Amino acid sequence: MKVARRQFKVEVPSVAMGDIAFNLLVFFVILAKAQDDSHVKWQPASSAKVEASNKSVVSIAIDIHSKVFLNGQEIGLDQLTAAIEKRLGDAPAGQRTVMLKIDKQAQALKFEKVLASASEAGGEIVHILQENKETK
Amino acid sequence: MKMRRQNKMLIEPPSVATGDIAFNLLVFFLVCASSQPDRGRKQDIPRSDPQQQQTEQSQNIEVSLTRTTVAIDGNVLPLPDFQSKLTEMLAAKPRPEDKIVVVKSTPDTPYDYWIAITERIDLAGGIVTLQLEEEQTTTTN
Repeated sequence: MKVARRQFKVEVPSVAMGDIAFNLLVFFVILAKAQDDSHVKWQPASSAKVEASNKSVVSIAIDIHSKVFLNGQEIGLDQLTAAIEKRLGDAPAGQRTVMLKIDKQAQALKFEKVLASASEAGGEIVHILQENKETK
Repeated sequence: MKMRRQNKMLIEPPSVATGDIAFNLLVFFLVCASSQPDRGRKQDIPRSDPQQQQTEQSQNIEVSLTRTTVAIDGNVLPLPDFQSKLTEMLAAKPRPEDKIVVVKSTPDTPYDYWIAITERIDLAGGIVTLQLEEEQTTTTN
């Protein structure tokens, strides 16, 4: 005698679909941050007048130990100009922003060479600073 | 005649997912906060022509920076007087090419001091020019 199997109705739970989609969205937003230099430790200098900077594809940082980073990767000063040129490519004026995140105690010996490299590569420099209402 | 409702049903919002919702909101606002645009000071630096600039440098104002002092054409000034003195000197120079200010820094000049001085030069109407140790010159607006 054949016994008919009971067929269970199995459905993929769809209640959490919204949550899953949202989490994926957040995940890809974090990944999309191309220049992750959040591990670089630096203290910004202060200025009385600061403004929001444009979106940039190049970010140069000098940390508290005077190490130079390009988009979060440590780099030597000798390779900096070529590396900036490569990243900026043929971008038109207005889209060649180079963000400088330089520690306030960094010395001219280092940061002036970084400025010169960014200039030579045709970058539009933005010094990232902390707003300070009091002037020195 | 008014009729009274007999069946009052107790409806509670589902509270099982409250933790998930709170967590998602927390992550969302953290991501938003970390992706806020950075703020700073723009400095357009065109590619320089060192030969042309070196011939003009003798007429330009020269600002010398050390770790703690600033001097205009060799005269050390207190920081509060720097901007007014520079404004006065630049006012006497009507041509834009004469408003170039050559900034020479000693190797140990800290970045925050350099930023403070170049900001004052900008406010005084000067055009900052860097002079590096190798005599390479870079003009900034």
